[in-house]
Amino acid sequence: MYEAVPAYPSADSTASRMAKAAAQYGYDGIVIRTREAEYDPAAIAERYGVDVARGVEIHAETPESASGSIGNFRKEYTVLAVRGGTNALNRFAVEQDRVDVLTRPMAGDGDFNHVLARAAVEHGVRVEFDFGPVLRQTGGKRVQALSALRKLRELVTQYDTPYVVSVRPRSHRHLRAPRELRAVGEAIGFDPDWIEAGLAEWGRLVARNRERASDSFIAPGVKRGKYEKDDRRTR
Amino acid sequence: MKHLPKHIRPRWRYLAVGIDAPIDASFDRGDFQRELWYSAGNLLGDPGSADADLTVYTFSLTDGRGEAIVRTRRGETGPARAAIACVHAIDDTPVGVRVRGISGTVRACEERYLGRATGEIYENEVAFGGDRRHADRRSDELAIHLPTATVCATQLDIE
Repeated sequence: MYEAVPAYPSADSTASRMAKAAAQYGYDGIVIRTREAEYDPAAIAERYGVDVARGVEIHAETPESASGSIGNFRKEYTVLAVRGGTNALNRFAVEQDRVDVLTRPMAGDGDFNHVLARAAVEHGVRVEFDFGPVLRQTGGKRVQALSALRKLRELVTQYDTPYVVSVRPRSHRHLRAPRELRAVGEAIGFDPDWIEAGLAEWGRLVARNRERASDSFIAPGVKRGKYEKDDRRTR
Repeated sequence: MKHLPKHIRPRWRYLAVGIDAPIDASFDRGDFQRELWYSAGNLLGDPGSADADLTVYTFSLTDGRGEAIVRTRRGETGPARAAIACVHAIDDTPVGVRVRGISGTVRACEERYLGRATGEIYENEVAFGGDRRHADRRSDELAIHLPTATVCATQLDIE
């Protein structure tokens, strides 16, 4: 299972501290969301035994400026996410093939509907379920966050939209173990296995994008090399 | 009141909880218990909270590393885990919590999951972000004090 975390300077913990905590909590890997963070994925992986993927979460005010950033960063980062939170940005992100994840679509003034859910399926954009407010807010704000999660869950289930789950930690102390998240999910009406699948999806995304970025990749399902033995026998 | 016969007494489960707080954290058992009840009340509601019946048994905190045993009713370990996961700050001190394991007796819980070494703390001067900074070190973890905030880092960040 993977988790996507920000790192210093946009969080209170550095990438390596996040990685160490994630390893202790039982995660297989992490995706760093912060472009400005300084870290060496290979060194961290060697010391703490947890996979580290370079990612970027684009934080733009308008779709136009987000569009420019996507072009600039797509090649350089394994995982490319766009921070949602307004209807225009949500709409824009789910219609981009080059975007991997639309993060926190329901935050702020953002909303989600059946049109976006279908578009996300078509363009292979994962929708993020932000469990941060569930774990760290109380009262009215948490109620709003819970009802937003429920709406999102109903849409995602209806249209089979790909999704990821994250707690959006702002320090390594905000991380929680997968088993704890399963329990929290169950308490607020999610299926525990569904939560786990959302955490694992980050890992699948990382593996897929690494394969695509490798030199031997041509197109999905197409491999360079000799034909396989089985094909030969049928001739 | 006369206590219940053994076969109708409630069955309990004991959760070993590890707590990670800043080095200067100074909350006690009562603070953790209060926060846990708030968390359970808010997440599970009054009936759920009563069912889970979360009670902090043993509690210790030294230099920001804490351990606690939380008792819950058998069959309520899922909701109990969820309530514990929602504890994110105690007395406005941010904390990381993790359930290390669950046992059927306090003794088994202590023997299996508690009593882990916390490691000594040293004060250090480290080079971070192009400046010399004051830092507290425990094994390879560092808390680096910047003028406006404290950044949690590891040895890898200052090499």
